[in-house]
Amino acid sequence: MTTGQLATTGPVQDEPVLATVSRLVTEIIGEEYVLALDITLDTSFNADLEVESIEFVALAAKLREHYGERVDFVAFLAGKEVHEIIALHVGDLVTYIEQSLRDA
Amino acid sequence: MPDVVANGVRLHVQRLASPGLREDAPVVVFLHGLVMDNLSSFYYTLANPVAAAGADVVLYDLRGHGLSDRPRTGYAVSDSVADLTALLDELDLTDRPLHLVGNSYGGTVSLAFATANPERVASLVLIEAHFAIEGWGEQMAGTLTEIAFGLKDGDARKWRDQHGRKLGRMAANANDLINNTTMVDDLLAVKPLPADGVAAITCPVRAVYGELSDVLHHAEALRALLPDFTLTIQPNTSHSVLMEATPQLRAMITGWLT
Repeated sequence: MTTGQLATTGPVQDEPVLATVSRLVTEIIGEEYVLALDITLDTSFNADLEVESIEFVALAAKLREHYGERVDFVAFLAGKEVHEIIALHVGDLVTYIEQSLRDA
Repeated sequence: MPDVVANGVRLHVQRLASPGLREDAPVVVFLHGLVMDNLSSFYYTLANPVAAAGADVVLYDLRGHGLSDRPRTGYAVSDSVADLTALLDELDLTDRPLHLVGNSYGGTVSLAFATANPERVASLVLIEAHFAIEGWGEQMAGTLTEIAFGLKDGDARKWRDQHGRKLGRMAANANDLINNTTMVDDLLAVKPLPADGVAAITCPVRAVYGELSDVLHHAEALRALLPDFTLTIQPNTSHSVLMEATPQLRAMITGWLT
């Protein structure tokens, strides 16, 4: 393995955070529901995407798998009340992930 | 990782832990309630705070619920205990002391597991736990049949059309669980837990019930049997105390478990 390969860990790793979140949401709730929507930072998981709570759990698990220990989702969610989790927008998650990646 | 086959059923499992989890961290398993519930009710409320406080947290969807498989049979309390036992085996959590946190039917399963394995349980946290006493199965089956009546196939479709994808799917899943599995028959056949078995649970048992709960009488039945029993009655809350008093329960439970 060359230094160049080490620096570039593949297209998925270089994906912008919003694109990763959008891709994983689509995997979970199915393309037919997402296609009609353009997922942006202002998209609400609950009101716009109608993500079920159990699907949000699955999304967080996929994100944890993707980002590893660099992003502490337990801390993110432990600090939120139920109504705040339900009211989350894509942008809230993207901002937290970007912040964590910068700090990691 | 999210899927584990235990007792022949694929179960959706979530493990939560903070970075740098200690090897001797307490293992806390959360068990949710019946039919319109799944692991997300604990995930949104208590599980992440308990993990953030240093516990090794396990959440799973009971068979038939959430993202777990929905086999046609196996909905007796003894089946739920067998599923939990097999899951702990699969996760290699057989040697470490276990803390079980059960809500409603999840409390029933926690009590039944502790009755069968008193030496494995370090503590029980029972939130609005149903306690399988004489007549309990009939009562539960009756409640489910009432729900089922409103969820016939046609109605589930109507729900989806009127309320959108999310509620429609919840209704369809509940309908399938109640009308197309042996759940109601299995509950009707449930035998009460033996009083001497319950009395042999010597670990601390912490119970929380809502002041206005329709199952509050279970608290008194448990108090009469369990040697180390602490009861909190949360004012102005119902059977949904987990959702109605989440901040209070978070403070209580993270204090108890970690």
